[in-house]
Amino acid sequence: MDTWGQLLQGFQVALSMQNLMWCLVGCMLGTAVGVLPGVGPAVTVALLLPITTKVDASGALIMFAGIYYGAMYGGSTTSILLNTPGESATIVTAMEGNEMAKRGRAGPALATSAIGSFVAGTIATVGLTFLSPLVVELGLKFGPPEYFALMVLAFTTVSAVLGESTLRGMTSLFLGLAIGLVGIDNQTGQARFAFDIPQLLDGIEVVTIAVGLFAVGETLYFASKLNQVEEKLESIKGSIWMKAEDWKRSIGPWIRGTLIGFPFGTIPAGGAEIPTFLSYAIEKKLCKHPEEFGKGAIEGVAGPEAANNASSTGTMVPLLTLGLPTSATAAILLSAFQQYGLQPGPLLFESNSALVWGLIASFYIGNVMLLVLNLPLVGLWVKLLQIPRPQLYAGILVFATMGVYGMRQSSFDVFLLYAIGLAGFLMRRYGFPTAPVIVGMILGPLAEEQMRRSLSISQGDWSIFVTHGISAILLAITVVVLLAPFIAKQLRKRKAA
Amino acid sequence: MAVAGGVLAIGALILGGSFYLPTGGGYAQVGPGVVPRVVGVGLMLLGVILLREAFGGGFSGVDEEAEAKLPMDWVAFAWVSAGIIGYGLLVEPAGFVIASTLLFVLVARGFNSRRWLLNAVTGLVLAIIVFAIFNYGLGLTLPAGVIAPLLK
Repeated sequence: MDTWGQLLQGFQVALSMQNLMWCLVGCMLGTAVGVLPGVGPAVTVALLLPITTKVDASGALIMFAGIYYGAMYGGSTTSILLNTPGESATIVTAMEGNEMAKRGRAGPALATSAIGSFVAGTIATVGLTFLSPLVVELGLKFGPPEYFALMVLAFTTVSAVLGESTLRGMTSLFLGLAIGLVGIDNQTGQARFAFDIPQLLDGIEVVTIAVGLFAVGETLYFASKLNQVEEKLESIKGSIWMKAEDWKRSIGPWIRGTLIGFPFGTIPAGGAEIPTFLSYAIEKKLCKHPEEFGKGAIEGVAGPEAANNASSTGTMVPLLTLGLPTSATAAILLSAFQQYGLQPGPLLFESNSALVWGLIASFYIGNVMLLVLNLPLVGLWVKLLQIPRPQLYAGILVFATMGVYGMRQSSFDVFLLYAIGLAGFLMRRYGFPTAPVIVGMILGPLAEEQMRRSLSISQGDWSIFVTHGISAILLAITVVVLLAPFIAKQLRKRKAA
Repeated sequence: MAVAGGVLAIGALILGGSFYLPTGGGYAQVGPGVVPRVVGVGLMLLGVILLREAFGGGFSGVDEEAEAKLPMDWVAFAWVSAGIIGYGLLVEPAGFVIASTLLFVLVARGFNSRRWLLNAVTGLVLAIIVFAIFNYGLGLTLPAGVIAPLLK
């Protein structure tokens, strides 16, 4: 069947009453958690993982995906009105958008970011539709050594490119890998690092780690450090609609933002923040009114917003076609697939084509829903921002502990959650990125499996990774990514000396 | 600063050391011990570099001056911590609703909210709603604890 036929089949799945409802629930939840500071899509999806025992795979995955890209829409609302970027991908939006809001132009800022997100999300979904089959074909040619090399590359880019320090990124990654080791080795059945604690034999649940790092760590940090900072919520004055001039100034940035964001999402380069910064820089250069930048230029909202949405949709390409998660939320989505015994990758497109294409089709639908949810109904979400901080964070923790405890009915998990929360607090305080931990713990065991499978093929000969062409190239890129910043630094030093 | 680096190095050392226990070998000449060893060695190496950075004037890219302007509020930290640990201790004997209400009140106090009664009521209502949705709607079994007789 060609792509069109499969997409049509996908729409049949996605347009069923039930799946439409899951999509709507996902989009609404996503927008809500995007708007609310202190809780993000990763935690939300993690907390909702238990529903996988009740809901069928397509419904649950459509909802989880909705939460993922819905949060991108919602996050911009908070950045514009509150100047506290909910996520690193919306830092740039906060810069220009909040300036616009301060000048009474909150409406157009929200509008350009919602419409821009819609344009970008839709174009990126088209990209996803037509790029995926190509990557699948490539992926089918991969054997264990290639997959292992690809995962190593993903590890490095996620942890080294993201954040300001390769060293701390790598530390986070290795901590994640270490967490992934705990439990019974799935190939020999030997217990590893369980320290004779029965609760550790099953491994540490991703829910506990995600909720601990993001929700508990964040709450501890906010309570003890940021609670002293006053926040000012800008109100929306006047019309939220954009004027003709706003439209004219937004269309270019939307398209350029999308073109920058989507490729960044698809390659395992991790994170939506680099494309937003790139887009911001380009718009500043191209703009006829560069003096407005820093004082609320609409281009500075339109471009980066489009870029972050396009890249979050782009992330779906490696996730669905190769089973490679390149962000924390994508990693948790991967574990949602695993709950159903599904392994994303080229084979999934053959064995579960209705599910995969239904999911892709739901992206088109979800983006339309989100446009409606975030433009005419934006006032509703702004109300969420008025929940006072103490009650908001207290409520978040009630949900967080409930989710972690309820998973296995074990108070051991609650104490573990607190310990991880402490680690999350320290990581936040000293600027360690948290996403590599999640990616490491979920992708780590898969990488180990591929590595050991490769070595079984080669009967223990490690050179299999460099004698296979693709695998060798991927590993070479990894080395370059790791060493490039270091070498550049040395060169600059030499020049300065 | 040095604390964080030290903590990491110690963690890494423990990890690295314990990784030598499960042995390699076996079917494909790569047993369950190989990857842990790589991870352990990697962590130790990173810990050492982090230590060096920490002693050499702090981690690169962390704005210590900005951090210093926001002093650490240990009292708030303690309230929130007490909430979570209390929850872990109470959730089984006292039940989900009571443990959650207490958690809500303590965390809100950590954020400087002193409206005890309001918070207690809000927390209680939220806990009951969550309990109802997840226990009866989604089939999760949360412990009823002391309110169990009321539900019969």
